Amino acid sequence: MGSALKIKRPLTHNIYKKDFPLLHDTHPQLHYLDNAATTHKPQSVIDAIVDAYSQTYGPIHRGLYPLAEAATAAYEEARETLAHFIGAASSKELIFTRSATEAINLVAQGWARPRLREGDCIWVTRMEHHSNFLPWQRICSQKGADLKIVELKEDGMLDWESAEGLFDRPTRLIVLTQVSNVLGVENPVRAICAKAQQAGIPVLVDGAQAVGHQPVNVRELDCDFFTFSGHKMYGPTGIGALYGKIERLEEMEPLLLGGGIVDQVDDRHFTLGSIPERFEAGSPNLAGAIGFAAAANYLLEIGLAQVHTQVSQLSRAALDALSQCPDIRLLPGRNTQRHTIISFIVDGIHPHDLAQIAGEAGVAIRAGHHCCQPLMNTLGLNGTARLSLGLYNDAADVDALLLALDQARRLIG
Amino acid sequence: MTTHQLYKDVLLDHYRHPRNKGNLDGARVVGRGSNPRCGDEIEVGLFSHGNMLDRVQFRGRGCSICIAAASMMSEALSGRSKTEAAQLSVVMHRWFGNGNGAKVEPTPPALEALSAVREYPARRKCVMLCWEALSEALFALDQTLRPL
Repeated sequence: MGSALKIKRPLTHNIYKKDFPLLHDTHPQLHYLDNAATTHKPQSVIDAIVDAYSQTYGPIHRGLYPLAEAATAAYEEARETLAHFIGAASSKELIFTRSATEAINLVAQGWARPRLREGDCIWVTRMEHHSNFLPWQRICSQKGADLKIVELKEDGMLDWESAEGLFDRPTRLIVLTQVSNVLGVENPVRAICAKAQQAGIPVLVDGAQAVGHQPVNVRELDCDFFTFSGHKMYGPTGIGALYGKIERLEEMEPLLLGGGIVDQVDDRHFTLGSIPERFEAGSPNLAGAIGFAAAANYLLEIGLAQVHTQVSQLSRAALDALSQCPDIRLLPGRNTQRHTIISFIVDGIHPHDLAQIAGEAGVAIRAGHHCCQPLMNTLGLNGTARLSLGLYNDAADVDALLLALDQARRLIG
Repeated sequence: MTTHQLYKDVLLDHYRHPRNKGNLDGARVVGRGSNPRCGDEIEVGLFSHGNMLDRVQFRGRGCSICIAAASMMSEALSGRSKTEAAQLSVVMHRWFGNGNGAKVEPTPPALEALSAVREYPARRKCVMLCWEALSEALFALDQTLRPL
């Protein structure tokens, strides 16, 4: 089995791979299928980071000399670019954070904590990453609130119908991921936001696995908060963003206090500065912001619709090929639609063994619980193997995985 | 065939044909090691009289390395004293316990093939699961043999 099993070839020559020096030049033999963990960087992003340090580097919002002003302008331009990238009404609504994780924690501690009361509810879903689960679990426990969970249906989609009381009064916030980092499915964010809006309940959407892979417009989604990270959309690590509707941000307190966020400070009091600066204490990550914006520009130039179509085609072909293997169980089943992420288990082969054998064959996939233990517990699994596709992948990458699977079967199965 | 490949073959053989794997009924003590990150779980039973470990047996589920390591450990320890087992456990913790800087110790030939795993820091925990279970069992048997 398998070695003859080649995927239908929707993409034999990838024109974008040459933009990524690590994959094209340094490791041309590597088949990188771990894009849900992190993505590689195009040369334009690397150049932008180098330029940030070699040409425009200086203090932001702090200096009155030309270089400081240039640095500030570059930082604010990056904010504009990213706000535009996700369709925010204004760049004021985009706050730079260290990561999507930090953005979620900012909302948990800065927005939810001051207004959550005993008996209130926060709804999360069964498929949340720990980063969008633990902050809510903690805040509910701290405030005597209920953490409620929207469960899964057989097909891997969320069972919104059974989420009793979701839009009722005790619910103070609904939290959900746009695309699951394990199951790959996309949630009906727009519909949930519309109903929540009618009930006056804010919604936070974790967009880490959606942004950069498909067109995203936060105003069309009509969510209150939206979080995403740079390094999962071909940008640098160490930077992420929180989008919030301006009226929500006005209600939110900063997570960190320090330089750059205040108007006035005396011995006993301080007054907060304007939005978004009040949420960005400490010297901002200039090179990170510039690299992040460069990634957005890179994707805008290609077109997010094109990115989405290309990767979806490859993903469908990979799904078809894997579903032909009788010893492979897809999670969820074959008929559930997904975009860039495919989780599976192979009979008799521990996911860690599979990932290691694949790794030695030059194929990078992920194995384990993917930071989704509540989901794994529900599925009754300890882990899965996961392939996740990016812009630079092509049919050869998926074929290499199919070969590696064969090797694993011979060695371990 | 490289030494590395030879070691890998030894590991695979232990995985495919694990030694001393099975029922722990009648064991003097049983210790448990688990890795919540991957759900792997090994129980080690000591069949002993006096200071001697007549037989070391294990059961559980895990990846190939986890099972192979437990099988190799059971072979290396059966017929040894509990003090020797505790000493070997210290060696193994030094060998695999502390990241890349872990001190390389001379190992008994029966465990040498595990050196193939040293280059995969992410898998070291898999090797050590059975040794953690052993530590727990030895401590239950003799309180002077404190787990590390």
